[in-house]
Amino acid sequence: MGREQALTHHEGAAAAAPSKPSASSGLALRSLTKRFGEDVAAVDDIDLHIEHGEYVVLLGPSGCGKTTTLRMIGGHEEPTSGDIVLDGQTLLGLPPDKRPTTTVFQHFALFPHRTVRENVEFGLKMHGLAKDARREKAQEALEMVGLREMADRKPSALSGGQQQRVALARVLVMEPKALLLDEPLGDLDRLLRLRMRVELRSLQRQTGLMFIHVTHDQEEALSVADRIVVMHEGRIEQVADPYTISTRPENVQVAAFMGDNNIFHGTITSREGERLSLEAEDVEICAIAAQDGLEVGAAAAVSVRAAAVHVDVHDESAKGPNQIACAIEVVEYLGDLVKLHLSAGGKRLLAKVAGERYPEFRGREGSTVLLSWKEEDVQALQS
Amino acid sequence: MSRPSNREGGLKAGGLRTEDIEQAEQMLGERMQERALGEQRGAGVRGRRALVTAAWTAPGALWLVFFLLAPVLMIVLVSFWTRTVSGFESVWTLENYEFLFQSNVYWNQLWDSFWHSLVIVAAALVLGFPVAYFLAISVTSLRMQIALFIVALAPFWTSYLIRAVAWIPMMGRQGALNTALEELGLISEPLDILLFSDFAVTVAMLQLYILFMIAPLFFMLAQIDRSSLEAARDLGANSFKTFREVILPQAMPGVVIGSIFVFILTMGEFATVRIIGGGQVASVGTIVQTQVASVQFPQAAASAVFLVVAMFLGVFVLLRFSNLREEL
Repeated sequence: MGREQALTHHEGAAAAAPSKPSASSGLALRSLTKRFGEDVAAVDDIDLHIEHGEYVVLLGPSGCGKTTTLRMIGGHEEPTSGDIVLDGQTLLGLPPDKRPTTTVFQHFALFPHRTVRENVEFGLKMHGLAKDARREKAQEALEMVGLREMADRKPSALSGGQQQRVALARVLVMEPKALLLDEPLGDLDRLLRLRMRVELRSLQRQTGLMFIHVTHDQEEALSVADRIVVMHEGRIEQVADPYTISTRPENVQVAAFMGDNNIFHGTITSREGERLSLEAEDVEICAIAAQDGLEVGAAAAVSVRAAAVHVDVHDESAKGPNQIACAIEVVEYLGDLVKLHLSAGGKRLLAKVAGERYPEFRGREGSTVLLSWKEEDVQALQS
Repeated sequence: MSRPSNREGGLKAGGLRTEDIEQAEQMLGERMQERALGEQRGAGVRGRRALVTAAWTAPGALWLVFFLLAPVLMIVLVSFWTRTVSGFESVWTLENYEFLFQSNVYWNQLWDSFWHSLVIVAAALVLGFPVAYFLAISVTSLRMQIALFIVALAPFWTSYLIRAVAWIPMMGRQGALNTALEELGLISEPLDILLFSDFAVTVAMLQLYILFMIAPLFFMLAQIDRSSLEAARDLGANSFKTFREVILPQAMPGVVIGSIFVFILTMGEFATVRIIGGGQVASVGTIVQTQVASVQFPQAAASAVFLVVAMFLGVFVLLRFSNLREEL
């Protein structure tokens, strides 16, 4: 699955070649680049293809170019070079009002002088729909987001979550080909955020629209996406389904950004077929990796998920590969799970164990435990 | 508040729970507020609070009573009193008003001033809106915005009188503008209309008072959430429709307040009219001033009363255009 997704990404790259016919359906970004000033490339030559009905999340730290990419799709920012093609037709040069895309803005951007209903009707009115038809569609959209009773209020009389729903109804009513969401949950408090992301997911399923959602929140991305595009410094680092992104990060950037991955840098000491060993920071690590370029003597990085490590409190010394003795620094109890912040000779490591095991670790800061993991849980990273 | 049980639609389950959370939060907030109030609710607390409020508002209220309300009442009183050689005495009469009602000069002038003020308001709006729009919306850096706004305020760095007098060397027969136009060969003899004319007075007042239009417009426009403009474009409004449907309605309080400022200030003007009009142009203000100068205080008071009534009418009409209490 992960490989397939990665391939799709590479196909996107191939699509940049002019020989490829542009009649395909869906949204294609081709060699899309945006520079602010001379040197700074906010978005640096990215290729991506998104199908109708797909929920794609652009994920990355702030300044990675995800919002700029979204704004270019919506027409709020002109690309420096490259192309944006929707169902075979380029969107370049079209102002936002001529594009079949609509955006949910981070701070909702509701019209304060209009009622909820008027906000929802706005787009239809701009497209010249008659009043009755407008009203009916707005009513439907408001029901869809559960705000029927609020229709005659001003946005200022609504809570943050309700305003968010108005913003959603306002774009859903337009039946756009692509619905763009710019940090849509950023302004909500945590409980509401958790609830709204489930609603977003179910709305997308109901409507079958293409959703492109920008966020810096890993958990949010994993929760809603069919496919996650991890971005870093204007480039796409990996495109894959949430499970693959989470368990098989392709490179150091993705592994580090997704968090809760233990990353080791080292040198490859032996290789037999797909099995390789490396010496990394006083640990011998065995892994299974099909990638090319992993020759004996080469530098390599691997990651092991915090949730994939086994913690043994009764053993204190490493006896083989994929084992390391660590001191517990902090025990962080989070209900369903326990996060153990560990250190081994200055290297910081993280382990996640089931919440029921908390009594084993409570008050054990400073004591030594043995970490171990299976070789199939070691992911070789491209640097 | 709507009851969760009424809610329907595809997202019922999700909606329900969020609503519950929101309601719970609200109830919690209310309960805490109640408790806080309960602790404070000792004997006389409320009375003491009212006293504190009164103490805070007293200076302003006194100021208004002594320097605005009392003088206006005095003017109304004096307008019903009798003129004497040295001023007036408190003998009731309607003579002053009888005289005014028979004076075509006064009514024509009142109408003229009213009309002029409306023209200036309209011109200030047409010329001021783009400036305010540019400052508040086109300029994106806050620093630049403030810097440019201060530059726009530059006319206020000098006295009003100097600005008015400065028109004479600029616009006179031998003034800079006439000389320049002649040098360029655009006109063969100096334009008289530039000074000591209705036109000159109108333009001068526009220049002097346009900032009172720009400032409230600027403050209203600056409050508009830029992303709501992007949202309008996104939903299919072109730039004209975005202006008409989103920007203008939100700027309306600024339009009304600016218009009231400019209308009131120009309606009662007499100094500019004197200086720029050079005795050729009159206004209600100059009429009142002349009457005061010739010690006809009751007459002047009656003239002033109608001026104030005319201003109230203008403000009343302008206020129809926006519900300030709700929209500001």
